[in-house]
Amino acid sequence: MSSNRWLATGNYFTSYKEEQRIFFTSLDKTAMCLLLLCLFAWPFFFDLDNKYMLVIDNILVAVIAVIGLNLVTGFAGLISIGHAAFVGIGAYTVASFARVLGDNHVLVTHAWPLMILLAGCSGAIFGAIVGLPALRLKHLYLAIATLSFQMIFQWTINFMNFFNQGQTISVGRVYWLTGEVSRSKHYMFWYYAILVILVILGFAVRNLLRTRYGRCLVAVRDNDRAADAMGMHPGFTKVYAFGLAGFLAGVAGALHAYLYRGVGIESFTLQQSINYLAMAIVGGLGTLPGSFLGPLAIKVLDLQVGNVSEWVGAHLTFTTNLATALRPLSFGLVIVLFLMFEPRGIANWWRILRSYVKLWPFRY
Amino acid sequence: MSYFFQLVVSGIVVGSIYALSGLGFVLIYKSSRVLNIAHGQIIAAGAFITYALTVWVHIPVYISLPISMVITFFLAMSVERVFLRRLIGEPIISVIMVTIGLMSIIDGLIYLTPFGTENFSFPPFLPKAPIAFGGVSISWTQLVGVIITFTMIGGFSWFFKKSTVGISMRAVSDDQMAAMSIGISVPRVFGLAWATAGLSAAAAGSIIGNITGLNFDTLHAFGIIVFPVVILGGLDSILGAVVAGIIMGLIQQFASGYLDGNWGLNGTGEVMPYIILLVILLFKPHGLFGIHEIERV
Repeated sequence: MSSNRWLATGNYFTSYKEEQRIFFTSLDKTAMCLLLLCLFAWPFFFDLDNKYMLVIDNILVAVIAVIGLNLVTGFAGLISIGHAAFVGIGAYTVASFARVLGDNHVLVTHAWPLMILLAGCSGAIFGAIVGLPALRLKHLYLAIATLSFQMIFQWTINFMNFFNQGQTISVGRVYWLTGEVSRSKHYMFWYYAILVILVILGFAVRNLLRTRYGRCLVAVRDNDRAADAMGMHPGFTKVYAFGLAGFLAGVAGALHAYLYRGVGIESFTLQQSINYLAMAIVGGLGTLPGSFLGPLAIKVLDLQVGNVSEWVGAHLTFTTNLATALRPLSFGLVIVLFLMFEPRGIANWWRILRSYVKLWPFRY
Repeated sequence: MSYFFQLVVSGIVVGSIYALSGLGFVLIYKSSRVLNIAHGQIIAAGAFITYALTVWVHIPVYISLPISMVITFFLAMSVERVFLRRLIGEPIISVIMVTIGLMSIIDGLIYLTPFGTENFSFPPFLPKAPIAFGGVSISWTQLVGVIITFTMIGGFSWFFKKSTVGISMRAVSDDQMAAMSIGISVPRVFGLAWATAGLSAAAAGSIIGNITGLNFDTLHAFGIIVFPVVILGGLDSILGAVVAGIIMGLIQQFASGYLDGNWGLNGTGEVMPYIILLVILLFKPHGLFGIHEIERV
């Protein structure tokens, strides 16, 4: 292998082990470390408004959910139109604890890492149950199964008194080693908490994709008969993909519940499911960096759409519902345009840029 | 007992509309294997066009309905031409996601108009007093709606059985390669399938609008409830869509008629179809009349 992979003209892997490393060069590793350092350190240098801090926290939560969606839709090739419902399962797990025990019970406020884990597990269980038709069916029917799960979830929340009929169920402030996390530090605290969880989960998923359990997802997506012949069980693999996606979604849901200190149905509707799909598509299906870039791009777009509709609403008085109109319009356009012109998403731009630099000045 | 028959009558009314909406969905799936998730939005668009023509342009309903059907015909055809034509041959997963995007786009476009948030109702053009016999009553709008629905379903059956275009559409759904080799233009058939789906969707939307009033959320829900209907009937069977539509209408009416209010349940009519859908997917995924061609993996 060449000493500098950035200048090498090809890859010179001599074993599969080499090809499966997380970091190919020390430069990659350094860049990653620097990025992480920046992510952890920047709040010490910049003072950000709480409004924007919430947006950043939101992006991180969405990244966790989209990694899950990407596992099931991108890597395993199964469309899930009910991802917001899985996120909702996680959030409502926390909410039901808060509702039964009281929203300031010690289990909810002190043992929040346990709650997050529990929410992830309940998400995984529901994911596996919804994925059960995968034992017999192909993607088309699975899309419908997840859609119907989304509808059943919305009905359950909207009509049951236990879930406050979709109205907000409040969740208490959490405690950290230094005591109760105060109002002013709330978003900062959760920024770090979510970031730590995200880094752990991100590396876990990256590692998973190197193992046989991760690679069998891709194998089943590419050709399920060949995968079957190679000794994998495509049906169980699909159920397991749904379980994994459900786990990540559940964790994201619990974080969402704690971040907003409450749970309401409006964050887990069909529209939200479509937003998650848009994030996964824009980022790039089947790529891990895409799961980070997609939510970032869509949330920034969302912010801009909000600004534009506010600006237009201030100038044109006759359009009262412009914001409700512009959101689905722009998200739909983004989904369709990306699928038509850049089906591999933003992650592909990075690949293009990289090969451009690599081949310069002798490009094709 | 008359309560039971009342539920049966309203179940058949709702079910026939489901059948008509499901018909359009099956048409698209049958010819091009595309799962059209935006069908509810096309239904809504058709209904709103009929309303706009009737109330804003002052055309009588029995003329504006055919005009709106023709407009939706071309609208759906252009949707196919612009968005889906270039995706022929792409993996089915991206085609389905394009229709999800389309759903979002049409949602946004409808929210731009007053129809997105406000409620409208068609001016009544039929006698208001319901027809009653033996304790069971049905309103004139419902009766006319059911008659139009069954006429259209009959018309479509004739179209597929006898007309050249219909036969070529069936040929494409059977075997694209063979259809191409005898000179049928497959992309044109895809376009036509979308167009006829738009036609039936506009009719369905207008009938719903006349019976329940125009509300975007309601019309939207009709597009999603189409899924349980077509899965129960078998995704590629027109007869299945009709039968399953009526079964689903009956189930919904019975669920909300007998379950609601007991055991603390509410709105069961809304959720019952989806529970049935999940059960069918687990045990009989090809539905009542679908072809048993599902691969087991």
